Amino acid sequence: MTADPISRNRRTLKERLFGNPMVIKELRGRMRGARAFIVLTIYLGLMSIFLTLIYALYAQSMAFSGSGQGGEIGRVLFYSIVGVELFLVTFIAPAFAAGTISGERERQTYDLLRTTLLPARALVGGKLFATLSYILLLLLAAIPLQSIAFLFGGVSEIELILSFVVLLSTAVLLASVGVFFSALTRRTLSASVLSYAFALLTVLILPIGLMILGPVIGSLTSTYGATAGSVEAAMYYIIGLFLATNPLGTLYGTLQLLADRQVAGVFDVTLQNGAVIKLVSPWIVFVIFTLIVTVVLLAIAVRRVDRIEES
Amino acid sequence: MNAIIETRNLVKRYGKLEAVSNLNLIVPEGAIYGFVGPNGAGKTTTMRILTTLMRPTSGEAYVAGYEVTRDPRNVRRAIGYMPDFFGVYDDMRVWEYLDFFAACYDIPERERATLVDDLLELVDLTHRKNDMVDKLSRGMKQRLCLARTLAHDPQVLILDEPASGLDPRARIEIRELLVELANMGKTVFFSSHILSDVSEICTHIGIIEAGQMVAQGSMEEMRRQLMPHREIKITFLTVEDRERAKGLIGSIDGVDDVVEIEASEKGRPRLKIIFTGEDEGVALMSQRLSTAGIAIVGFSEEERSLEALFMRVTKGLVT
Repeated sequence: MTADPISRNRRTLKERLFGNPMVIKELRGRMRGARAFIVLTIYLGLMSIFLTLIYALYAQSMAFSGSGQGGEIGRVLFYSIVGVELFLVTFIAPAFAAGTISGERERQTYDLLRTTLLPARALVGGKLFATLSYILLLLLAAIPLQSIAFLFGGVSEIELILSFVVLLSTAVLLASVGVFFSALTRRTLSASVLSYAFALLTVLILPIGLMILGPVIGSLTSTYGATAGSVEAAMYYIIGLFLATNPLGTLYGTLQLLADRQVAGVFDVTLQNGAVIKLVSPWIVFVIFTLIVTVVLLAIAVRRVDRIEES
Repeated sequence: MNAIIETRNLVKRYGKLEAVSNLNLIVPEGAIYGFVGPNGAGKTTTMRILTTLMRPTSGEAYVAGYEVTRDPRNVRRAIGYMPDFFGVYDDMRVWEYLDFFAACYDIPERERATLVDDLLELVDLTHRKNDMVDKLSRGMKQRLCLARTLAHDPQVLILDEPASGLDPRARIEIRELLVELANMGKTVFFSSHILSDVSEICTHIGIIEAGQMVAQGSMEEMRRQLMPHREIKITFLTVEDRERAKGLIGSIDGVDDVVEIEASEKGRPRLKIIFTGEDEGVALMSQRLSTAGIAIVGFSEEERSLEALFMRVTKGLVT
């Protein structure tokens, strides 16, 4: 009655994701009845109102000052939506993810699952995938709204794609952190608190710290940079790395690079002593950072779920 | 008979408290094994170790030939576990609940629809197939949980207090289901602190107290071991009948002693027979008396209830 080990290993990605009982169960629960669609409608409605407001305000101020271009308003609208979505992901991802495994404990279904043949990695992976699916739905649903910016011009497709990638990476990062804490703590409340603390740290506190530290490092670099090229290069790497550990800095850095230099990948920076170093756009570093953190946290969570408990 | 569940000097300590101490449990294949003991005796702890949920402090536990800590996956394949709480997802339909757990046991999608229907029929819930789980009564939820434990056709069912918290009707339904499952060839290992549930359906019992097994074996063995002789009381119509009966009964194999006891409430003469033989001997007694035309008013054997047995072997200790 059970599948043999060989056929299990040959499962395709589609089977692994959509044949995972946990994914089917979670999505069934999430999308049951009218609730999911009402939530989606309200979300898009609020987003549209917000967009209209921004447009009205901006149009008025332009009329008042008598300046402004279509491209500028397009960019403002686009960035506003990306900002709102980032805010949304920051709040929704931990909320959905933190209850996934500790919720099973609280509902007393965790023991039942662990006596079945469902592997720990399918349980943890299924929870993460199901959480991300709903967030992905919300992000995809907002793309038409983002695309209104195209009507005004000033926004390129590459900006749309890269901002989407950063938003999705943020969702993956925060959802894995949520699932991780959910696997490690007994109660959803403590998992939520820890997940939100992490979300707040990466999305808000790191960028603020960077804003304060950035100019300090910058002035240090201009003071010592001329004498030691290696110091200046190190400063670039450190700032770049810091920028790429949080979504706000990544978005800012990536979009700024696109606007200033039209680069989305590798680019050259000339130091004060004339040497040239290569840097990559922050989104690439952010995606790699997200992947590493996700893999490590999920591996720990799987080990935790797989372990036979001491008490 | 092979042991399908076996523990060897199983110990589980929580800090200083020893919840299970040197437990040697033997559940033969095909048995309905009642695991009896007061609350807090270590029943749930033992079951959690057997179901691969908890690591014992020392000792070994085997289920279907696999050691629980070394080979948990094979153990899980062999067991169906029902804890002493429901463990149901409220936001699911009855059929989805069973379908989900069947999928967790690697049962292919094409087989699941039929399986779910069969399971629902077995536990008599077919008419509630599309209802939400939280709309079911306690008894129905318990039957649904039992159906879940059967999804992968396990050899052994490990059920923690399957009848607790149920009304009398639901309790009887669960009991009948357990007998039916045993008839299907499954070994049923269940815990209970309600003795009547155990005595009516079990083939084997184990009594646990303060983490220790105080008595274990088949129902017959237990009876014999703990009450070495049977006491039969016969009430006669007349003293003359009694005197004739003494000679007839005394010569039957297994009769150790025949004593006159005080008269019954209505003043009828009585005899007490101390007997160590089998049921055939008892039958022979009544047969001889009736052939000889002896008038008997009453013929009774002292009830050797499980309660009496339980009270004799336990001391009322709770860890």
